[in-house]
Amino acid sequence: MPYLGSEDTVRDLRRALANPHVQSDQLRYRNVILKVIRLMSQGLDVSSLFSEMVKACATVDIVQKKLVYVFLCSYASLNPELSLLVINTLRKDCQDSNPMVRSLALRNMTNLRLPGLMEYVEQPLTAGLKDRAACVRRVAVLGWAKLHNLHPNSEIDAVVVNELYSLLRDTDPVVMVNCLRALEEILKEEGGVAINKPIAHHLLNRLKDCDVWGQSEVLKILQRYQPQSEDELFDILSMLDSSLVSPHPTVMASTLSLFLSLCWALPAVSLAALERVRVPLLAACGSASREIRFTVLCHIQLLLRSVPGLMGAHYKRFFCGYAEPAYIKQRKMQVLVELVNDDNVALLLDELKDYCTDVNTDTAQAAISAVGRIGRSYSDRCLGILIGLLGLKQENITSAVVQTMRDLVWVCPQCSETVCSALEGCEEILQDSQGKQALLWLLGTYGDRVSSAPYTLEVFIDKVRCETSSPVKMELLTATLRLFLCRPAETQDMLGRLLHYAIDEETDMCVRDQALLYYRLLQSGIDETRKVLQGRRSDPSLGVLIGLPAEPVKHWARVFNTLKPLWQSFSETESVRGRSCLLSFLLLIIVKFSVHVCVFQAAMQLVNIQILAFTPSHTLPWRVYLYTHTQAPPCTTLILGELLYTGKPTEEGVTLKQQPRDDKALRGFLSVLITVLHTLSSQRE
Amino acid sequence: MSLSAVFVLDLKGKVLICRNYKGDVDMAEIDHFMPLLMQHDDEGLTCPVMSHGNVHFMWIKHSNLYLVATTNKNSNASLVYSFLYKLVEVFTEYFKELEEESIQDNFVVVYELLDELMDFGFPQTTDSKILQEYITQEGAKLEVAKSKVPTTVTNAVSWRSEGIKYKKNEVFIDVIESINVLVNANGSVMSSDIVGSIKLKTMLSGMPELRLGLNDRVLFALTGRDKGKTVVMEDVKFHQCVRLSRFENDRTISFIPPDGESELMSYRINTHVKPLIWIESIIEKFSHSRVEIMVKAKGQFKKQSVANNVEVRIPVPSDADSPKFKTSTGNAKYVPEKNWVVWTIKSFPGGKEFLMRAHFGLPSVENDELEGKPPITVKFEIPYFTVSGIQVRYMKIIEKSGYQALPWVRYITQSGDYQLRTNM
Repeated sequence: MPYLGSEDTVRDLRRALANPHVQSDQLRYRNVILKVIRLMSQGLDVSSLFSEMVKACATVDIVQKKLVYVFLCSYASLNPELSLLVINTLRKDCQDSNPMVRSLALRNMTNLRLPGLMEYVEQPLTAGLKDRAACVRRVAVLGWAKLHNLHPNSEIDAVVVNELYSLLRDTDPVVMVNCLRALEEILKEEGGVAINKPIAHHLLNRLKDCDVWGQSEVLKILQRYQPQSEDELFDILSMLDSSLVSPHPTVMASTLSLFLSLCWALPAVSLAALERVRVPLLAACGSASREIRFTVLCHIQLLLRSVPGLMGAHYKRFFCGYAEPAYIKQRKMQVLVELVNDDNVALLLDELKDYCTDVNTDTAQAAISAVGRIGRSYSDRCLGILIGLLGLKQENITSAVVQTMRDLVWVCPQCSETVCSALEGCEEILQDSQGKQALLWLLGTYGDRVSSAPYTLEVFIDKVRCETSSPVKMELLTATLRLFLCRPAETQDMLGRLLHYAIDEETDMCVRDQALLYYRLLQSGIDETRKVLQGRRSDPSLGVLIGLPAEPVKHWARVFNTLKPLWQSFSETESVRGRSCLLSFLLLIIVKFSVHVCVFQAAMQLVNIQILAFTPSHTLPWRVYLYTHTQAPPCTTLILGELLYTGKPTEEGVTLKQQPRDDKALRGFLSVLITVLHTLSSQRE
Repeated sequence: MSLSAVFVLDLKGKVLICRNYKGDVDMAEIDHFMPLLMQHDDEGLTCPVMSHGNVHFMWIKHSNLYLVATTNKNSNASLVYSFLYKLVEVFTEYFKELEEESIQDNFVVVYELLDELMDFGFPQTTDSKILQEYITQEGAKLEVAKSKVPTTVTNAVSWRSEGIKYKKNEVFIDVIESINVLVNANGSVMSSDIVGSIKLKTMLSGMPELRLGLNDRVLFALTGRDKGKTVVMEDVKFHQCVRLSRFENDRTISFIPPDGESELMSYRINTHVKPLIWIESIIEKFSHSRVEIMVKAKGQFKKQSVANNVEVRIPVPSDADSPKFKTSTGNAKYVPEKNWVVWTIKSFPGGKEFLMRAHFGLPSVENDELEGKPPITVKFEIPYFTVSGIQVRYMKIIEKSGYQALPWVRYITQSGDYQLRTNM
């Protein structure tokens, strides 16, 4: 923020700093420096004072020293030459009798981040490792990591590495943990610090001495250790038992993570560990910090993938408080959906019903779709609630309810009767395109059961000129054509009008093309049209997506206690190549067991992957072309894909094209694809 | 965990102070933070973690500040948030209130603290008592700190300095329990728990050894005694001074206390407690004309106890006007900026029942905005009483100089998150 008069200010300051009277008066000198730092934090460029500040660094006053160091570390990279002048003072400070001065000098020497200073820094750092004060050793140890970070290519002396390894046995726990951190950084290329049996057991024994941060660090690094025998493994596990129920969520999570990685071969032990963390996890759900609460909820979702029954009895703990932020409420509802069972369904739905009318529309929508999800298992109760909500005649609620009903009908065809009878009157309330699309789909697909369907569609067709959203128009075309197939007499006239409008007047190419396609389809005969348009109305087999079999713990163990689970669309990052092998295997299963293509198509649509074309099943080579586009801001990317199965192991797999390039989206796409294929194939098995 | 940098921003997203710990993320990335936050806000997807490219922002909000940590690694999320909250805790201890003004007034101390709390993205010294010894900038401490070597640096007991002296040796023990209750609109208790904490104010000389005895059921079962009321505690958290191994072995709470005020332990009891103050409410809203509120409060605790400073907050529509109140005791006040009525009762004896009626006018033109259904909340404090029945049975103080010291114990029960949903 360069504001008026800043040059004058800097000039005044320079004069004051150079003034021998000021320099001789410690308090005045300190005040001037303070002013410089203040201006610096306010964003004023005071870098031109660098040489004056370097001089101010040579003082016995530790307060002044600290201030100057703050300045120097901020501007050193702009003045590498002048920074050389500081080094001498810093090196002298490293020999000071006061350990605080020594550690201060050492830390700032490494914080200057100047690659050219390496040769000057090495010697004090080596001395620092042997310093008798723990605070100096702490700084020196991390100093080596910083140094390595500056010169990632240069080898750090093996002597230093050895010294760091021996400092793992330091009396000060922070020095020990810092050693681990530094070695991790320095030996990154070799896979991090090597943990052998003596080191592992030493770390385990010292665990209790460390603070929360240290414990988490140690536990994380211990994940790399493989016990040599089962006895040793169980010894370690019993040593860790008390950390597993630690009241600090971070320690508890790190311990659990370690448990899972140690017991990867013993699923029963992992499950027992998960049972054991239930209480501390629930306690962490009530943590005062909403961010921690959020983190814990996300991780509970992970756990529930493997142990669906883990929290069943404690569903009340996931009820939302009035003042909780929307992101927590939404997660809690997702958890609640997982916890529903015969005993709690009534109370749980009662609670969710309250959320459906939340002022926050996103929360309300999430609640409504949660009710819909539960409806897959308890359809009568949920439909009652949903229909009750329609009675409120509120725009956003109605829209969410209609969308939820559409999704519900697709998996539970037995609900269609009730849903169809509830649709009347919705069209007057719906405003948004999502809601309209859902209603049109329902009318098109179940037109034979909704007596008023033609009239509703007519209202839409009459207003089609005012409709701005092209997806709605496309849905309208499909719905009208479908209705025409089952109720031709009532619909023929309006279908003609709609096609006429869409072909002659519509400017959106997609809509026009679709209308043309339908027109030509109708020309080729009603039977052809019926074959193309009258697909399935529902797909109960998709129910497998809900009642997924418990996932093995190892699927998510690697990302447990990291940032990953906090992302809603959580996807694994494995190399694309590694996956295609699995993919072809799944394709094989699908072709072999001839999954009906409709099922495949419906499953893909559920995850927003559209199928463009496919070869009939039982033909070889078997191909499917599909596409999707991501809507994650800032950019959207289009992915086109070809699944190929030739019968020969070398020539099968998936080819993907993308515009623009976005690796994350690609990987996400692939993992979604694999999940779907996996689900379908496991259902066949 | 490894953080790259920590920023303190004001509400507009301007950087007040920052510290670059690792140098692997461009400091200018923070400029994307505010636009991202606003964008997420618009979409209703506010989330404590946001990403721009491969930089992740993890943030918390405290009064009029955002504390943001950046990283480009798949860090341990809970650890990062814990650290940010630790920052808040430490800053608050130093500046009493952590807000934009206090950051600006104390920026040098903030720099110093940020330096000591973390190095190269790893948390270092986070105990505020120990930090005190490293910080040079604090008023009176300024001159002393110059030559003083931190005593705890080489000390075995890192949380207590040697050579502390008091004329009169005393220790004050506060047992504070807060009750969290959620009652739904038809009067059934959805969830309830007790969060307790034991706080110490230690004024003892030297290096005393303390032992605290509670009526802990596990302990009583261990020793075979079973008389009187005992308490089952869950999620017991101790100050670092307590010897955890001894607690795990024989449930003894033994420790060398930090000097001055500290929280020795906290616990949670997850039993079904009867809501101490029960509220029945009838809120009738006649659109376009009036709202009538009738609230009955009942003290469901022992007759001998008295709840102090009871505040019942009843939500009213935001467009309500011309309030009229009638209370059987205490007084009611309309707080229009919060859209609630506060009914204050200075002292509320157990077993008693009080009544409050309120009448509001509503404008004939209805408010378009949708309003939520805020719950009734209750605040109170009951001294000399704990819901769980936890008791300090003894506090033994042993110091090698052999002085006599007095322990003082005080019990308080208070409301925590105490909510009763309404039908309004």
